[in-house]
Amino acid sequence: MKKQSIASALVAAIAVCGAGAAHAQAAGNVLVQLGWNKIMPKVKSDDLTAPSLPGSQIDIKSASALFATVTYMITEDISVEALGGLPYKHTIVGAGAVSGVGKIGSIHQISPTLLLQYRFLAADGPFRPYVGAGPTFAKFYGTKGSAALTAVTNPGGPATTIGGDTEWGGTIQLGGNYKIDKHWFLDASVLKTWISTKATLSTGQSTSAKLDPVSINGSIGYTF
Amino acid sequence: MKKFHVLTTAVAAAAFLAGCGGSDAGDQSPRVAFTQMVNFGDSLSDVGSYDVGVVKLQGGGHFSINGAGATGLLYINWTEFLAATLKLTQPCAAETGLNTIQAAVGVPPVPATFHDTGAAPCLNYAQGGSRVTLQPGPGNAALFNPADPTTASNALGALTIPVHDQMQNYLDHNAGAFSPTALVTVLAGANDVFIQTATVSAEVAAGLPQDQAVAGAVAAMTTAADELANDVNTMILAKGAAHVVVVNVPDASLTPQAIQSGPAGQALTKLLLQTFNNELATKLQAGPSLLLVDAFTASEDQATNMAQYGLTDVKTPVCTTSSSLLCTHNTLIPAVAPAASGAVASAANTYEYADGVHPTPYGYRLLSELVGEAMAIKGWL
Repeated sequence: MKKQSIASALVAAIAVCGAGAAHAQAAGNVLVQLGWNKIMPKVKSDDLTAPSLPGSQIDIKSASALFATVTYMITEDISVEALGGLPYKHTIVGAGAVSGVGKIGSIHQISPTLLLQYRFLAADGPFRPYVGAGPTFAKFYGTKGSAALTAVTNPGGPATTIGGDTEWGGTIQLGGNYKIDKHWFLDASVLKTWISTKATLSTGQSTSAKLDPVSINGSIGYTF
Repeated sequence: MKKFHVLTTAVAAAAFLAGCGGSDAGDQSPRVAFTQMVNFGDSLSDVGSYDVGVVKLQGGGHFSINGAGATGLLYINWTEFLAATLKLTQPCAAETGLNTIQAAVGVPPVPATFHDTGAAPCLNYAQGGSRVTLQPGPGNAALFNPADPTTASNALGALTIPVHDQMQNYLDHNAGAFSPTALVTVLAGANDVFIQTATVSAEVAAGLPQDQAVAGAVAAMTTAADELANDVNTMILAKGAAHVVVVNVPDASLTPQAIQSGPAGQALTKLLLQTFNNELATKLQAGPSLLLVDAFTASEDQATNMAQYGLTDVKTPVCTTSSSLLCTHNTLIPAVAPAASGAVASAANTYEYADGVHPTPYGYRLLSELVGEAMAIKGWL
């Protein structure tokens, strides 16, 4: 039980559940997955608030990171999935009137999501497509500015920094898993999240941006 | 159970990382590692050509609110804000002096002196009153007439070295070439407009038909623009400069001085400015080494969308001196004067103009932001 000593309470619970023998996806099963997720924000930014050069907007580039999920089967068709992972580091670039300035900063985010899922087809079949929906919590932090950002917001003054933010949003999911054997399976899903963030500069201006990212991921899973 | 261990470690790491990290300034170095800045132009880029003699005694020298930090901002002129942004040493005047008319002002002239050689050369050649090619410019002693009180300000004797001569002086004193890592800025033409509007008034008063007088002024502005473009092309771009910022003339028809001249005066000023700026844009040799910044359009936007720029007043000069060359925190209108002696006049940071034509330090800061934005888009910053 040495392994369990480092596990979180949630993961420990999985291990307890995992003590039972598993066959097809059935009520009470716990599925854990580890994979790679790419988040592609579809940004619509407001103009930076005054005082600022007019039409200054931001765009946020895609980022990828290791992710993991834990899924609990309530019935053989209905499940709850917790999705989380390592932080994503996104590059922030200029848009609108400052389109073309290139990188003006960077930001980290984590966005754990809880999904209520429904699985189709036979519980003991090799392939089970599923849909899901649920809330997303996002924390934006670890921001970095740039010479260009300072040049247009506080020339000659202290370097401009970007403030973080926390937000709630909603996610829908479309995915499927393919059973390799009675424990192991492959999984892929696409998620669409509706979420906004507000970046506030140390010079006082802020910009609100709809991120509304699409995420795609692939992972390997184990059924306990 | 090895996979399980990896998973738990990842989850734990994610939870841990989520709690760390703050706001960081990031990399503040411009994309081009500039080594020096060279400036040519007029009062809008002047950082102290006349900061000698009587002007120095009165604490003046910049065409704005003088005194480091007088308004709480760290710099006064846009070339100073830009130098700080680019991590360069602060610009200083390449040539100083005043041809003061002692009989009128009561102080002796100060001989013109160059400071543009040696270990730490001063390479800002811009001088208040400078025109593109011709002398005299506004403020020059040649325009002083003891019998005409409206010419009194010219007794100070500004050198008004034309921009063409400024460039020649640089080349003569610096081995005839620019460094590829130098940022070269050029902003000139407003003084040619001022001279031409005055010329039109004088000609019309002398009986010349208005349209003929205006046609002459338009032709003169076209010539000035052709000459400035040619100078930039042949004396800067052709001499090794790889980063040349040419700023066109802001819309001087919106200045307090132009507004005072009435709608007809404003219209003439605007016509001459547009003639100059359009011709300049046409004749400059476009390419990767040239960046033309449209300060004309930006200045109009500042006047119409004040709040966007943090401005509350674009018509009232905050200095009580007739020229901001002598303006300090002690000579400000009551609305922006510091509350107590030694306090900063931060209220001036929502006003565009220091005097009839020159910006406040905040107005200059807006210009440096505009240039910074254009340089970032160009990939230089």
